[in-house]
Amino acid sequence: MLSLALERVSKSFGGVQAVSDVSLEVTPGQITGLIGPNGAGKTTVVNLITGVLRLTEGRIRLGDTDLTEANASTVARLGVSRTFQNIRLLKEASVLDNVMIGFHRQEETGLAAQLVGLPSSWRESRSLVKRAQALLERFGMTRFARHPAGALSYGHQRRVEMIRAIASGPRVLLLDEPVAGMNDVEAAELGHIFEDVAKSGVALLLIEHNIRFVNALCRHVYVLDSGRLIAQGTPGQVMHDPGVIAAYLGTS
Amino acid sequence: MSFAAYQPLLDFFLLSLGFAYSQQVVLRAGVFSIATPAFAALGGYCSAILVQRYGAPAIPSVLLALVIGGVAGFLISIPLARLRGVFQAIATLALVQIVVSLAYYLEPLTGGATGIHNIPKLVNTWHLLAVVAVVIWFMYVLSRSGVGRAFDVLRQDEMVGATLGVSIARYHALAFIISGALGGLFGGLQSLYVFTIEPEMFGFAFLTAVLTYIILGGPRSVLGPIVGTAVMVALPEISRPLAEHRQFVQGAILMAMIVFLPHGLVDGLEVAWRQRQARRLDKEDREKRRAHAVAGP
Repeated sequence: MLSLALERVSKSFGGVQAVSDVSLEVTPGQITGLIGPNGAGKTTVVNLITGVLRLTEGRIRLGDTDLTEANASTVARLGVSRTFQNIRLLKEASVLDNVMIGFHRQEETGLAAQLVGLPSSWRESRSLVKRAQALLERFGMTRFARHPAGALSYGHQRRVEMIRAIASGPRVLLLDEPVAGMNDVEAAELGHIFEDVAKSGVALLLIEHNIRFVNALCRHVYVLDSGRLIAQGTPGQVMHDPGVIAAYLGTS
Repeated sequence: MSFAAYQPLLDFFLLSLGFAYSQQVVLRAGVFSIATPAFAALGGYCSAILVQRYGAPAIPSVLLALVIGGVAGFLISIPLARLRGVFQAIATLALVQIVVSLAYYLEPLTGGATGIHNIPKLVNTWHLLAVVAVVIWFMYVLSRSGVGRAFDVLRQDEMVGATLGVSIARYHALAFIISGALGGLFGGLQSLYVFTIEPEMFGFAFLTAVLTYIILGGPRSVLGPIVGTAVMVALPEISRPLAEHRQFVQGAILMAMIVFLPHGLVDGLEVAWRQRQARRLDKEDREKRRAHAVAGP
């Protein structure tokens, strides 16, 4: 059980300070919230954690492992997965293939064995197909397995992206606005999935706009505004923080 | 007409198919490399020089051609790791230019512009068939393996690949190595089949032909290059007047494909078929729901 910790992380793009001095912790077994108005730097934080962007200052740790200098594929190999704010599925590939890619980190057959088609490689492929099918079953997507991912409805595409992230067997899962554009019923369904995943010991960071959704799921919430942390605590505490109210509604 | 009349055509098809796979494997991994002519030239000169000048036997010469192609592929992948898209194309085109220039200037070894002639014909149709069968099997295994899946994700969305732990540098290098080895292998076979090798064989016409096979057939499926190559090889034979305007026809087909079927014949039809299936299932769903609503609870 490893928690993800950001220690005084800053990021500037040229003269623009996108994130400054942010410290937060994402603990296993629960859903941690990160909220803030548009342009607060939420997605930048995700990109810093996943190694897509390099931080200017500070440190990122996963348990005892330092992720500060790691690149995207290394971070992924250490068990940090994410979903994207704008869905990024392989649109022409089937739903099943999209989920299969999630298993990449867990493939054990060596490159050479795969290239010459040793039986061990076939066995592994078959067992991964079975696992992918089981995941689709668990999330009620079995009948779409052969569909090209791009042909699904928006809500279903979100769900496939989720399943792919879960397939990667993450220790930490970063959800970048997962219910954006969904109706309340679809959002609630997805919320149950997140709770399930958290219960299995994964550390979830939920980056959201929809405060109601965050309040329902998270025990601890961080609030970001203009790249700075302005509040943290339980959803109840945060909602009554004058700074948070000012950031969301503006000062009178 | 007897089979014998078509045998040279079959042989040409088999050799072209090898080059087509060399081109396909990099495109599949999302690398816009057009280095196949360079790999083919390296392999071709390797086996031609060994066999014609030093009297080496065929099998080790062709195997060495394969190894040289693979090593060249690996070496070119190192400086290219940071380039993408059209910049990769330009850089790999530069490699082709370098190899072809070397063929011109290393005259004592390569025979310069006139090339090497009277190479013993050590390769026949059966050899080509056997090698192509192995290559098709290899491509099939590759497409079903984790490597194939990694190539597919890198082609479609590199960032998604990286965030799922797919190492871009590693798989791009692997694609280059396979492409180089296949290009070298079939270059080596070609030299021992056509009696002669000269720098001009690996010029612009070769490059566009190889690209056409893939654009026509598709960058993903194993069947794609077979269909693409077969069509392009057979086209001038089916209609003789076309043969004289080969370049024109090739260009026109390329443009039509890019506009109307950007994924190629095989891949494009596969995607279209899947989408049709999806629509049909959705329609069934809607009708079921409607029937349910009419029946009432």
